[in-house]
Amino acid sequence: MSLASFLPAPTQLSQDQLEAEERSRLQRSQSTALVSTRREPPPYGFRKSWVPRSLEDFGDGGAFPEIHVAQFPLEMGRKKRTSNALAVQVDAEGKIKYDAIARQGQNKDKVIFSKYTDMLPKEVLNEDDPELQKPDEEAVQELTEKTRSALEKQVSQKIAAAMPVRAADKLAPAQYIRYEDSQNINLNKGLAFNSGAKQRVIRMVEMQKDPMEPPRFKINKKIPRGPPSPPAPVMHSPSRKMTVKEQQEWKIPPCISNWKNAKGYTIPLDKRLAADGRGLQTVHINENFAKLAEALYIADRKAREAVEMRAQVEKKMAQKEKEKKEEKLRELAKMARDRRAGIKAHGDKGGEDTEVRERDEIRHDRRKERQHDRNISRAAPDKRSKLQRDQDRDISELIALGQPNPRTSSEAQYDQRLFNQNKGMDSGFAGGEDEMYNVYDQPFRGGRDMAQNIYRPTKSADKDMYGDDLDTLMQSNRFVPDREFSGADHGPRRDGPVQFEEDPFGLDKFLEEAKQHGGSKRASTSGRSKDYDHEKKRRKE
Amino acid sequence: MFVLLQDVQKHSVHTLVFRSLKRTHDMFVSDHAKAVALDDQSYKMKMAVKMRAEYKPVLHMPVLKEGRERGPLHASDPYGQLGYPLPGALPHYLVTGTHPYPSAPGVALTAETQMQKMPFLNSGLLPRKAPTMPKPQWHPPWKLYRVISGHLGWVRSIAVEPGNQWFVTGSADRTIKIWDLASGKLKLSLTGHISTVRGVAVSTRSPYLFSCGEDKQVKCWDLEYNKVIRHYHGHLSAVYDLDLHPTIDVLVTCSRDATARVWDIRSKANVHTLSGHTNTVATVKCQSAEPQVVTGSHDTTIRLWDLVAGKTRATLTNHKKSVRALVLHPRQYTFASGSPDNIKQWKCPDGNFIQNLSGHNAIINTLAVNSDGVLVSGADNGTIHMWDWRTGYNFQRIHAAVQPGSLDSESGIFACVFDQSESRLITAEADKTIKVYKEDDTATEESHPVNWKPEILKRKRF
Repeated sequence: MSLASFLPAPTQLSQDQLEAEERSRLQRSQSTALVSTRREPPPYGFRKSWVPRSLEDFGDGGAFPEIHVAQFPLEMGRKKRTSNALAVQVDAEGKIKYDAIARQGQNKDKVIFSKYTDMLPKEVLNEDDPELQKPDEEAVQELTEKTRSALEKQVSQKIAAAMPVRAADKLAPAQYIRYEDSQNINLNKGLAFNSGAKQRVIRMVEMQKDPMEPPRFKINKKIPRGPPSPPAPVMHSPSRKMTVKEQQEWKIPPCISNWKNAKGYTIPLDKRLAADGRGLQTVHINENFAKLAEALYIADRKAREAVEMRAQVEKKMAQKEKEKKEEKLRELAKMARDRRAGIKAHGDKGGEDTEVRERDEIRHDRRKERQHDRNISRAAPDKRSKLQRDQDRDISELIALGQPNPRTSSEAQYDQRLFNQNKGMDSGFAGGEDEMYNVYDQPFRGGRDMAQNIYRPTKSADKDMYGDDLDTLMQSNRFVPDREFSGADHGPRRDGPVQFEEDPFGLDKFLEEAKQHGGSKRASTSGRSKDYDHEKKRRKE
Repeated sequence: MFVLLQDVQKHSVHTLVFRSLKRTHDMFVSDHAKAVALDDQSYKMKMAVKMRAEYKPVLHMPVLKEGRERGPLHASDPYGQLGYPLPGALPHYLVTGTHPYPSAPGVALTAETQMQKMPFLNSGLLPRKAPTMPKPQWHPPWKLYRVISGHLGWVRSIAVEPGNQWFVTGSADRTIKIWDLASGKLKLSLTGHISTVRGVAVSTRSPYLFSCGEDKQVKCWDLEYNKVIRHYHGHLSAVYDLDLHPTIDVLVTCSRDATARVWDIRSKANVHTLSGHTNTVATVKCQSAEPQVVTGSHDTTIRLWDLVAGKTRATLTNHKKSVRALVLHPRQYTFASGSPDNIKQWKCPDGNFIQNLSGHNAIINTLAVNSDGVLVSGADNGTIHMWDWRTGYNFQRIHAAVQPGSLDSESGIFACVFDQSESRLITAEADKTIKVYKEDDTATEESHPVNWKPEILKRKRF
């Protein structure tokens, strides 16, 4: 129903149509021919002035050695600059094969996906669609058999390689092949070739393998691996670019251990604690602490209340008791009053009885006390009685306690003020004279005893302090405070730390006399005593 | 005169544009390259009008026979244009170019593949109506109904016995435990691994259990004696997954040393070492049809292997992040792979990309698929997404609570399998439990409606 069928044929053909006609004519002529005609070079002997210039001039042969011109049949022999550029190839339909690069070293039949349409999703087909069905059973079984036999062959080869030497395998029977030269059938070769025969019969036998033969080739050599097959074209869009922000999100900070520091880096403290997770934790306090505190408060309050109540109850009880006692006493008093007042008749005996009873009671009490004391002294002898305790006390303690001196001297001491009581007004009291010491008539212990009781160093006690040469130390002259003149009188040996000189001025005697005289003040003696400023004298006074 | 029951709604320009786009998409979604089918009547009218308007003076002249002959001889137009699929044209009138699922650019367009007969031309029917957007099938939601605890470490792998009586789990506490499926009670505990047991598989052809661990060991246990009978020695690093070939007695294991190894079960020989990956191979799956071995790796590629030669058949580089999970559909000739960016569906045997299932934005550790078309994806953060396989509709998201005593961060799913009846989903989790899910029988289409909003406007990035 095309338009052309309704219209009359054109009278003049256009250029395109002419070309199309010629092409179709050519096709028709090509398809019918059995043998294609080619341009043949002139035969040998007729090549005098002939030079092959194009590829077709060579026909199906090679170069002509008698023609002295550079010839490159089939473009062989030309110096080519090698490049790894692939020539552009075109497939049967006329479209350029853009995936030739992806298929470089491989089989033409290998499945390689390189077009955009391979990436696009296909139409969703029905489940029963024949496209999606598995191949049928026979095909699968055939494949299985093929695979199995191939795998078995592989396995047996591997096993045989490991197995020990066995007897030689029986060989398959010889194969006979009839061979005829199909190409040069009509060529007259004569007796020289194949003894004139047109056919040959070939007997083919597998070569025997020597079972004891060691392996022929060394397989322990290590050679680098060959290049891999060209990589498959990538059928997805390139991965998205990473933004700086996203990269920052994935940054992992370096690990700063709390325990190890292999290179001994000095790391600031805030970095040391940074990875601790301090800011991330919220401190959770168990609520039982609050419960405990509340429970304690409650218990405290309850205890206080209980104590208060108990105290009140006890107070009440005590009051009651007191009242009872008061009642009793009142009754007793009443009874006593009654007895005295009203019931005096048989009260005499009672009165005497009471006094006797009282005295009896007192005697009883005293006896009890004495017994008690005796018991204590018997039972606890360490616990001494009062008198015994006071015997060991120091004099200062006794003075403080106001108790009399136990070590009283044999002779009784008298207060001097008792003597000469008939002297007159200025006896005894001496008019309030302070510096006259006239309480006692003789000294307490005497000067002679004082020195002896004062501490004196002994040899044995001070060995660890002063060493062995205590004698030398004691008699050393180095520490003499007063260096006297040579020839001077060294003086008497010391009797103690404080050396009392013999009284050169007779002050002792003088003082004694003064005391005996009653201590009337004499200005000259007192004045002289003041002038004399020897240290030892002062000390004595 | 009639009264409008409803006022005409005033829509924004955006809405109107979107709606028209949607309608256009609906019409053309099946084949972008396909031209609009011609309407017979309108075409006739157009031709008649054109002839009368432009060629009226020459209509009376005779139409020569040569012209008519020349027409059909030119198989294709001299200008090489796509011919319109004309109604009523000669049956051998062929159209070039249209071919669903062009297999590969290198496949030579032979005569068979180049031309394709338009089906409606032969039958003379009117052009087919363009298919609308597919509606996802309704699946009942799944709910947790049992939690089994007993392991002392993460449960890393699960396998169900072919007779559906018991299932095996491998764990980070170095033990393999066998549990009764119906009651969930522990039947047996096997020790022997020195480190985490990463993969377990039960053989359907012999009474063997295979296990692999992070201690480079691959063990074959005889279940009649509960003892290890074979070790497969050869991996250089932790072995992460293993799978058994369904018909050949061959075991494939994959490891952190970037290789997968094929072992002959009986002789313990390492038949093939499938090398080519550049990073840990995380998962491997075997099937009886081509491709027989599929591996997914942390170098973001999936490789389909030829088991006979031990070489890569195809490399799929569509994923952007590590592929940790693979699953083969039990009925269809397709498989799916999971990675933190997307779950992708592929068609065997060449690995043609079918579609993306996006939405589960977490590290997907495991995938499992049902015969009903339910795809389960389990992630490292403990979430499970349930998808309709055909359309990619996510109909449910589950995040089960952790075992009491575990931290909330200890939720993660390492493995999931359907049992042989495909009615129970068993997951191995990071809180040391095994959770069993089943379909909620009380749910209906009304109580859990399908909320399918396919994306049209959004420009997809691959």
